Amino acid sequence: MARVQLRRVHDWLWEIPREGGMRVPGRVYSDGMPAPDDPALRQVANVAFLPGIVKASLAMPDMHWGYGFPIGGVAAVDPDEGAVSPGGVGYDINCGVRLVATRLSADEVRPRLHEVLAQLFRDVPTGVGSSAAIPRLSPRELDAVLAQGARWAFARGFFASAGDVEHCEEGGALAGADPAAVSDRARERGADQLGTLGSGNHFLELDVVAEIFDEPAALAFGLHPGALAVQIHSGSRGLGHQVCDEAIAGLAPAMGRHGAAYAAIPDPQLACAPVRSPAGQAYLAAMAAAANFAWANRQVMTGLSVRALCRSLGLSEGDLGARLVYDVCHNVAKHEEHVVDGRSRRLLVHRKGATRAFGPGDPRVPAAYRAVGQPVLIPGDMGRYSYVLCGAAGAMEQTFGSSCHGAGRVLSRHQALKRARGRSIHRELADRGIEVISRGKKTLGEEMSEAYKDVARVVSVVEKAGLSRLVARLEPMGVIKG
Amino acid sequence: MRLALPQPWEEISHTADLGIAARGASPEEALARLVLALGALLAGGGALVEDREEEFTVREGSDLAQTAVAVLREVLYGFAARGAIPCACEVLLLRPGQARVRIATGPRDPVRHAEGADVKAVTWHEARLEPDGAGWRAQVILDV
Repeated sequence: MARVQLRRVHDWLWEIPREGGMRVPGRVYSDGMPAPDDPALRQVANVAFLPGIVKASLAMPDMHWGYGFPIGGVAAVDPDEGAVSPGGVGYDINCGVRLVATRLSADEVRPRLHEVLAQLFRDVPTGVGSSAAIPRLSPRELDAVLAQGARWAFARGFFASAGDVEHCEEGGALAGADPAAVSDRARERGADQLGTLGSGNHFLELDVVAEIFDEPAALAFGLHPGALAVQIHSGSRGLGHQVCDEAIAGLAPAMGRHGAAYAAIPDPQLACAPVRSPAGQAYLAAMAAAANFAWANRQVMTGLSVRALCRSLGLSEGDLGARLVYDVCHNVAKHEEHVVDGRSRRLLVHRKGATRAFGPGDPRVPAAYRAVGQPVLIPGDMGRYSYVLCGAAGAMEQTFGSSCHGAGRVLSRHQALKRARGRSIHRELADRGIEVISRGKKTLGEEMSEAYKDVARVVSVVEKAGLSRLVARLEPMGVIKG
Repeated sequence: MRLALPQPWEEISHTADLGIAARGASPEEALARLVLALGALLAGGGALVEDREEEFTVREGSDLAQTAVAVLREVLYGFAARGAIPCACEVLLLRPGQARVRIATGPRDPVRHAEGADVKAVTWHEARLEPDGAGWRAQVILDV
């Protein structure tokens, strides 16, 4: 794989100049100069080939090697002349994270942590092919989930508090979803997976609010030092995987039909179609439906988690005082208005392992948060910490309102397992006061702290670059993995 | 030629995901071993009890690598929908755009296969099925 050229813009921003078929430069946010032989940089350059791409192919500081797009990639295209790429969203459509604040102090929960985690592990199915959190959905119910997203689950009693739906990006349902665009195979894979966590890097975590950096913003988000909070990271499960899989398989062999610009795209995983074409529209309708499935999935798990916490601690829901702070997507393509060169434009923004981070005053941010900016939730690894940030004006100017999404892997799963050999990751975490329950031992090795960048360094880049501001730091006390 | 687990295969390091590669004297043999490499990953070292044999045809792709991806996608769908893990495989026909495959599968057991990988998808990224020395080599990157 040929190395790419890099030009320093700032200490935290590096540019890949246009060359060959690149329509725009690449811009990589990074803590120091990225390694020029990092294959993710070639992927940033490849994304710049997309027809209709605007301004730059962007990569956030948690960038790492993906397939087609890098993880951490952001690309906005003009929908009238540009392309939509299912690979720019990824297989786990609307994989995302949500944060639930509670009224409890973490110290109150710690003595009963094991019982609480065990109850959560019983009530929220985890692991490969996990299913049956709720009764299997009928075809009609599944249609409603695909159209309504989080609202479907909320209406059936799965919630933390009354404001849950408003506190999801896009109100927990993407417009334009068409359940009929979702294939029978995708429906088959999703019908019994609603309310399940899955495995890999998905998790359900009990955290303590360990540090506040911005008191007004933390107050607006309802985060108080020492309080118990819950993070849930999951996506659209098998239904979303199948939607993406079928879209790429349909588009990849047909790229040449859309013209030379499409035929020149250097990686079949970047298969794409004009946004306005029937194939592009069909994908967007199915992707929106899968995104809604993911919101409903996280909403059901929220309800299951709240009930599990109440049952194991012997509390009423009022005593627990759970409240959804926010829910963000990591993998999605959405029509959004952005100002480019002084002109407001409607663009299709692909985020693949990136978080929307709209700044203060934006009318798309919930009223309660509008003065400080949208909550931006950045999970770290299971042994260190996570961050809560808020969107900032710089994101609107530089990155189509986007920020990082996590720590970013530095070790492959294979390398991580080698490093974990002969060690008890479970015991090492317990020694640091973190209890972990997982379906398999292998996941703990693959997901150990050393496999990830230090998320503190990642968030320091987005803060220096003006993309987001630090609000709070969370520390894990109990973790459930698939 | 029908091949059964265990078969030789390699794991390719990929930061967020996982690659698998297999060799064979012919493209058919390399692909059959790649199917079984996927089976080995899904089984996570747990034994498989064969309970079903089926034959399927795919008509996709413009070259051998893309057709190999289509075969593996079909196998993965069988796992996702029915928990069917391949334990034996024979590639009966393989040419650009078409393959016919016979596989024997065993059911996933949540306990015995607890360490099996959660493979979301077979990607097209760096997919290969090409001559390699005196034989053939097949590889795919899996989204996990």
